[in-house]
Amino acid sequence: MTAKDCDVVVVGSGIAGIAAARKMAESHLRILLLDENLHPGGQILRHLPKTGGVAQHFNSWVKAGQSIVGHLKDKRITLMNQAKVLGIEDQRVLIIEENRGRTFEVKPRAILFATGARERFLPFKGWTLPGIFSTGAVQILIKSAGLLPARQILIGGGGLFLFTVAYEYVRSRGRVLALLDQGSLRRKLPSLTLLFAHILKFAEGSSYLGRLIFSRVEVRHDTMIMEARGEKNLQEVVAGRLDRKGRLIQGSEKVYRTPALAVGHGFVPNIELPQVAGCTLTYDGTLGGWIVKVNEGLETTKENIFAAGEITGMGGAQKSMIEGYISAASILQKFGKRVEKSSLSRLKEERRKHLCFGRYFNALYKVPGHAIASIADEAVVCRCEDLTMGDIRKAISEGHDTPGAIKKALRVGMGNCQGRTCGPVLHDILSLYAGRPGREIPPFSARIPVKPVPMSSLLE
Amino acid sequence: MRIWVNGRPETAYEGETVFAALIASGYLTLRKSHRFKEGRGGLCGMGVCYECLVTINGSPGQRACMVEVEEGMEIGIDDGKGL
Repeated sequence: MTAKDCDVVVVGSGIAGIAAARKMAESHLRILLLDENLHPGGQILRHLPKTGGVAQHFNSWVKAGQSIVGHLKDKRITLMNQAKVLGIEDQRVLIIEENRGRTFEVKPRAILFATGARERFLPFKGWTLPGIFSTGAVQILIKSAGLLPARQILIGGGGLFLFTVAYEYVRSRGRVLALLDQGSLRRKLPSLTLLFAHILKFAEGSSYLGRLIFSRVEVRHDTMIMEARGEKNLQEVVAGRLDRKGRLIQGSEKVYRTPALAVGHGFVPNIELPQVAGCTLTYDGTLGGWIVKVNEGLETTKENIFAAGEITGMGGAQKSMIEGYISAASILQKFGKRVEKSSLSRLKEERRKHLCFGRYFNALYKVPGHAIASIADEAVVCRCEDLTMGDIRKAISEGHDTPGAIKKALRVGMGNCQGRTCGPVLHDILSLYAGRPGREIPPFSARIPVKPVPMSSLLE
Repeated sequence: MRIWVNGRPETAYEGETVFAALIASGYLTLRKSHRFKEGRGGLCGMGVCYECLVTINGSPGQRACMVEVEEGMEIGIDDGKGL
């Protein structure tokens, strides 16, 4: 089969994408599976070594996912890595750049977007210094290259993922100077219903915390990174304690000397491609902000375009796998194939459970208004265009108080990353200073090509 | 395997990304920013942020985190081309 002969294009070979591709291939559909990364599996299965630590004991889906990656050699699945989808036009025509070279178009009968999520960041003064990595980057270096960026690291930001990365650092014989979480411990305590519904997840989390305590890692809650300093590379980080309302307690600053910092403040869904395809978005602050609107069968508002995984609401790997299966079943039904009804309704029930966990999980990443207000004027917000919090405050005070207006005024979000890094925090900044709820602030608009591409790839 | 960073020989391992190989060899600053001309290194490690742009075998503006190392690869960092 050539790439153009496919029935369904699946964008993203993370856990949702591969689960769906496998299921549809089993029912004799021909699948083109695209991913920008070097290997299938997405962030969660990324080269996970055989001895994957405690995560494997708590997560049966890790094994299931690895087995799917092993089965992607199905002759009905064409896997194309290092391929970029640049856009979608005229209903379902995808424009694809193949491994930094040729561009081609394909029009399948259905599209499944499983584009996953990226990290979100709360900027602080000096966070552009080399030696500062995202928590995700550190995990990737450990998982896929067995590399610690430095023997000693400081981990900070917000949410549960900090604990996962700290655990993996310690387990890989690195030293974690301290873990600084701007959230409080109190907010982490789940309700009993949630605890029992997701007992394994909480057991996994507790075992991470246990290992950190055992390794004498300094774990601090209600602690926010204020500033990073260094001449050429990172040398020290200043953090301060927050009071119950999330305001900085004057005089509580502490300086950590460290050559490396891992920082992250949660995750945001990658909605740019569904956005370009014309799918309606919907805002849900407890599910990651702007997400793709889907029906129970995961079809978007565009006919024969489906969405699965983090882009329909941040809820973790298990939810993604379930949604991969649900979307595959919906597509199969559309094409007149037989689908087992009872297992489908069970999957839909499971999905609802995971959305509940997602809401708890995402609430831990909520950035309080005080935190946004305390960002220093010198802090770079848009890293591509070097625009600071001061530039943004000034533009807002001049009346540029929507993403579109501030983009035209400053070029914020117009650089290489196309607003993927600054967009989510700019959304929170505008919400605070314009005094409007999140759902009234639209995301940056997305246009073709959604990722930078050399002119030579477009000429034919 | 052997790779070249700004003309200097460095060791890299099969299967790792250019980004991982550069960090392992101690290269943190990969480009200069547009306006402030300050040094930048890779942030996200997964192809989103475009902070790790380097020149690979003469081709500028490549994300170091999205390319696997190859024997004899020539990598240019902080060379003014990582726009």
